[in-house]
Amino acid sequence: MAKKRSAGGIPPSRGERVFEGINLFILIILGALMLFPFLNLLAKSFSSTTAITTGQVLFLPVDFQLGTYKYVMNESQFWDSLKVSLIITIGGTAGSMLVSCLTAYPLSKTWLYGRKPLILFFVFTMLFSGGMVPAYLLMRTLNLINTIWVLFIPFLLSVYNMILLKNFFEEIPQEVEESAQLDGASNVRILVSIVLPMSLPAMATIGLFYAVGYWDNYMNGLLYITTPSLRPLQTYLYQVVTEAINVDEALSMDAQENAALNSEAIRAATIMLACIPIMCVYPFLQKYFVKGMRVGSVKG
Amino acid sequence: MAERGRTSPVSQQVLLDAKLNQKRSARTRLRRSTSMYIMLIPGILLVLLFAYTPMYGLIIGFKDYNIFAGANPFDAIAKSPWVGLENWNALWIQSKFRQAVINTFVISALKVVICFPIGIILALMINEVRSKIAKRTLQTVMYLPHFVSWVVVGALFMNILGTTGIVNQVITALGGETQRFFMDNAWFRFVLLLTSAWKESGWNTIVYLAAITSIDPALYEAAKIDRANRLQQIWHVTLPGIASTIVMMFILRLGGIMDAGFSQILVMYNPTVYASGDIIGTYVYREGLGKLNWSQGTMVGFFNSIINMILLLGGNLLSRKLTERSIW
Repeated sequence: MAKKRSAGGIPPSRGERVFEGINLFILIILGALMLFPFLNLLAKSFSSTTAITTGQVLFLPVDFQLGTYKYVMNESQFWDSLKVSLIITIGGTAGSMLVSCLTAYPLSKTWLYGRKPLILFFVFTMLFSGGMVPAYLLMRTLNLINTIWVLFIPFLLSVYNMILLKNFFEEIPQEVEESAQLDGASNVRILVSIVLPMSLPAMATIGLFYAVGYWDNYMNGLLYITTPSLRPLQTYLYQVVTEAINVDEALSMDAQENAALNSEAIRAATIMLACIPIMCVYPFLQKYFVKGMRVGSVKG
Repeated sequence: MAERGRTSPVSQQVLLDAKLNQKRSARTRLRRSTSMYIMLIPGILLVLLFAYTPMYGLIIGFKDYNIFAGANPFDAIAKSPWVGLENWNALWIQSKFRQAVINTFVISALKVVICFPIGIILALMINEVRSKIAKRTLQTVMYLPHFVSWVVVGALFMNILGTTGIVNQVITALGGETQRFFMDNAWFRFVLLLTSAWKESGWNTIVYLAAITSIDPALYEAAKIDRANRLQQIWHVTLPGIASTIVMMFILRLGGIMDAGFSQILVMYNPTVYASGDIIGTYVYREGLGKLNWSQGTMVGFFNSIINMILLLGGNLLSRKLTERSIW
């Protein structure tokens, strides 16, 4: 876009340069503000208790130590929760992608009898829901409480993601599929060997949405799990974090003891460890989801 | 296209097929549909079981529900006695519930008024960055907060805004008093707005940036010839170019009004800020599930769903009238 604009022959004026300079400056400040909370907590997780209490830690660790990370990694609850989160994220995302593709593909075909009512059947659940209490009672009825299944089976199909995928499938030129049809390929064959390979950006985008949804969810663990070893990582973090408010917000400044403050660095280390997986995956998928969002959402 | 020998039989076959199609199109259509319907089965079953079955559970709101009345919690629904609107009336008597309803609307409205435009402005600003590397880096940084959970966001901001956090250090250094952001009704809504702007503003730019790429570059050229400066170009070309996207995002946002940020608030709130931060979602969680007050909890959920549906349908109708675009 930048190239296209300067190709008009009019060189950027001084006013434009000033405008761009100020614009970039503000954006860099905003970007720094968005990163700061992470950097600050990361620095604290590697700092000593005294450095944290005296407020010396800003961007870089003070009195570098690894004790907090050793402590967290020695907690068996951390490993149990990490395992649960990995299982539901990987298993859930795989299952979700399967169900979403299978649902979105038929609905993307305008010639399908009953397409409109079927779409309405799915979309209605976005408008209206039974709410938290009946959902909980249903899980109890199905004997899903305190099982790992309750953390992903009920959430396999996100109608929102499925509709995005359907919109994407609709963009694929029909001619390609029709010629395969003439060669006698079945619908499933066309989906697997033609449609899906052509939809990689959308698949990566939707896959990322699902994965982040599973990984970041702490409510389901809070609602449906009481067995500690089945608690997902975010639910475990929720407990670590909310206990912390009660401890150090409730104690007045001078009454804060070493024990409570030590927990601040430990908490920081736990949070950082929990952030790592998503942060490792996300930058690599960025180019896909920017593209995927474009096609999926711009279409009305 | 290069292989002539292959294309002509295929196109002949297409013609042949088109003729045949007219005769038996309905039959082939139905035959081809069969495998499509089979593909739909898992999705339909999941939605029936996990989305529609709880809707049947809504009648709990009109009953005096006793979870042990039947063989299982769902069987107990049928066996519990009807009480009409008793739960509905009992709800509105409670000032805590009325406060939660008010808070839901106030917090949502504040988020729409303050956070919604931030995404648009940010997208316009990012779009004006010439350097591709700078643009990409800014986007990577600004999308990042969207990917962390509310629990992590809560922890990050409790660290910064806590009594020993950097913000309070600055305040005290300037001679002010330590502020308890998470325990002060005067501050709590500000904390909610700040954290949701921080988490979602960057992410919200994606849709607008995508819409901007489809604006015809000739419009910018024309604006330049008319000696429009950059701000005028933004105002007269870019903004009108993404207007329909803005309207659509606004409607989607309206559909989210009834959720003022349940997972966000559940992490950040505590009894001292119920007056400013308790919303319908947290109220149901605490009073319905926490205190096993099933019938009232269900009734609140019902109320929530109805208002939500009205908002979304109304918004969609409005969008259809204004921009000829709708969500479905």
